[in-house]
Amino acid sequence: MNTEDGDAKRDWQTLALVVLMLILCIFVANIHLEVRGEVSDVDIGMRFLHSAIVSFMLTTGLLFMFTLAFAHRQARITEQALGMFLTTVVAALVYGWVIDAGMLLPGVVGDVWSQFSTTVLRLLVAECAGWIALGICFGLLLALVSGRRHADDPLLELSSEDFTAVEVDDSAE
Amino acid sequence: MPETDLLIHFWLPLALFPLGVALMLARDPPRKWVGRGLLFGCLLAPLLYDWNFSSTGEGQALHLGLVVLGPTLMCAVGCLLALFGGPTPFAPLPEGVRQGGFLLLAGGIAWFGWLLFVDRPDISGTVNPFWLHLTTSLLTLLVVIGGFAAAFTIMMGDRRWSEALAMGGIAITSFILLIFLLAQGTEQDDPVFWRSASWGALGDLLGLLVGGVGALLTFVLVVWIGERNMPVPEPVAPLSESEQARTREILAEHAGASGGEQE
Repeated sequence: MNTEDGDAKRDWQTLALVVLMLILCIFVANIHLEVRGEVSDVDIGMRFLHSAIVSFMLTTGLLFMFTLAFAHRQARITEQALGMFLTTVVAALVYGWVIDAGMLLPGVVGDVWSQFSTTVLRLLVAECAGWIALGICFGLLLALVSGRRHADDPLLELSSEDFTAVEVDDSAE
Repeated sequence: MPETDLLIHFWLPLALFPLGVALMLARDPPRKWVGRGLLFGCLLAPLLYDWNFSSTGEGQALHLGLVVLGPTLMCAVGCLLALFGGPTPFAPLPEGVRQGGFLLLAGGIAWFGWLLFVDRPDISGTVNPFWLHLTTSLLTLLVVIGGFAAAFTIMMGDRRWSEALAMGGIAITSFILLIFLLAQGTEQDDPVFWRSASWGALGDLLGLLVGGVGALLTFVLVVWIGERNMPVPEPVAPLSESEQARTREILAEHAGASGGEQE
């Protein structure tokens, strides 16, 4: 059992390494090409910061809405709903502070709404790309995996009548 | 602040859409109906506005959504037909449908290629600024997800070499295409724009990952704290006379039924 657990852990570690290596490859390709040719003004650090805060805020807001929608008499959801609501508010305050501190997205008007709406629209587009990529890869994989034909399981040929027949024969003997 | 029209026809439906989905998934009928109504309203609201796609970011995002809806649906329907046209035990379709499904999937991917190299999504002659962002995000994610799926099928599957080859093919092709776009660009767009879009998309995707996972971990933490602080349940009161009588009745009924079967 322990050996099996160890194997599963090692497999997932290897898979995680594969994903990390791919991300690294993409970063290296981007950095190399950025060095070779000029790029317009893109501050990846700001893009990352804004995306991370807004995506955190939106996900906690989403979980708050789901908590409210699934609330029922027996469920004790006060802590859960309050926790998610407060976390969303804190994330919004932090975002406002980031904008006030002058950490702005380049090429976007400096007010809070413009910065927020541009980030949300970019995140929506990125999420849309994510769903399309997931659909294509796992849809195709599922279709290919389920296409393999197997020989019928011999146990399926044994019907309950056969068992009854055997039992009757045994009792007759 | 945005215009009131945009607030009513875009941002409010966008904010209420998840609530509508959650209510629709609830079990009791009143909430289910409220959820359905809310979802219907959220889908209807953008249709009731006279959009000028080129003037606002919201319009440009919607325009892009409408442009990629066709190839996306084609890929989705192709995957479903290929899946259920195979030897599946659940709701199988006629066999010839499977090949048609793969053809549809290939057609959807070719449609994306057509949009990329031939007919870029324009709004009255101006490029949709989100198009480059979508393409670079999609290719980046196809590399990561395809690579992960290939490694997964090799390690966890039982002689799934052809499936791993297909997934690896998607990852490698996407990577080569991404590099080509960053180095050469397309006829309509200079490589500088592709490099900027790809660099920005990497920041957005990493932020999305970190923010989303952080929010989920916070949710787990909040639930854990709530569960930990929950008081110990009070001891249950013993059964009353009538409850004991009812229990004996049920037991006798079931004991009698099983005894009858044994006989």
